[in-house]
Amino acid sequence: MSEEQLPGEDPKKNEQEGDFSSETTPESTSSFAEETTVPVEPTPTANQGNGFPPNNGGFPPPNNGGGFPPNNGGYGGGLQQALPNATIVLVLGIISIVLCCCYGILGLIPAIIALVLSKKDKALYAANPGLYTLSSFKNLNAGRVCAIIGLILNILSFLYYAAIIIMFGSGILSDPNKMQDILRGMQ
Amino acid sequence: MKIRLFLILAFFLTEGKGFIHWLEHNLLSCPIKQLSGIDCPGCGLQRSLVALIKGDLITSVKFYPATIPILGLFLFTLIHLKFDFKNGAFIIKMLYIGVTLIIVINYIYKIFTNQLI
Repeated sequence: MSEEQLPGEDPKKNEQEGDFSSETTPESTSSFAEETTVPVEPTPTANQGNGFPPNNGGFPPPNNGGGFPPNNGGYGGGLQQALPNATIVLVLGIISIVLCCCYGILGLIPAIIALVLSKKDKALYAANPGLYTLSSFKNLNAGRVCAIIGLILNILSFLYYAAIIIMFGSGILSDPNKMQDILRGMQ
Repeated sequence: MKIRLFLILAFFLTEGKGFIHWLEHNLLSCPIKQLSGIDCPGCGLQRSLVALIKGDLITSVKFYPATIPILGLFLFTLIHLKFDFKNGAFIIKMLYIGVTLIIVINYIYKIFTNQLI
């Protein structure tokens, strides 16, 4: 049974996983999980993968952990992966401060995205810490700190711009001629 | 890959002056500066980048002191993501906090020395 099913169903599964990975997670993690599951224990893991294809595509690590219970406890195994969004969180957190200088609103977008992604990945790491590399967790934390600082700076600069615009607007509304004189003096 | 690098190098060597000239006359204008006439915390970044490309370190620092730390932060992040240093995340955090401190202190200094306009 299983030998007959395997060659027929494997390509389908690969296609499904490719579709899922392109939407939800970066390709590297899912392909890595695929490579690691296949060679060590061929038949049982492949059957599990066929049983739950969407689960495998959406969340590769838990399925992997189900495949290798002894590796879950042992930290020395070579199968630890990087957290799926660690580098993205780091890069977005750093970008947020560069964008904060311009509009004050543009930098909010990457900072908030980085915070949400880091929250997800923290939950993943807390679920089973043995599966992921420590360095990627450190990267994630650094990106989180960067995103928080960027968020605070962005909000501050936004409030500052709002205060400036309100001051100028009220000045112009109350006394237009004097305000124009002041503006001329500034230039 | 090597051919591409060589082409970029050749572009900068042959067309370098034209490129810098083009950059100098096509700087993006700051919306806050246009609206209110007051500098924003990021004003001066492009001028200092152009000065840095020209090789003029002192004017670059005078225009915007945080340019070189920001570029260093980007470079170090790329290298860290590639080679995965042991204390890389901590160093990135410290660099980031340093950059923010430089930007904020520079802006407050500009406010109190009337350089905003």
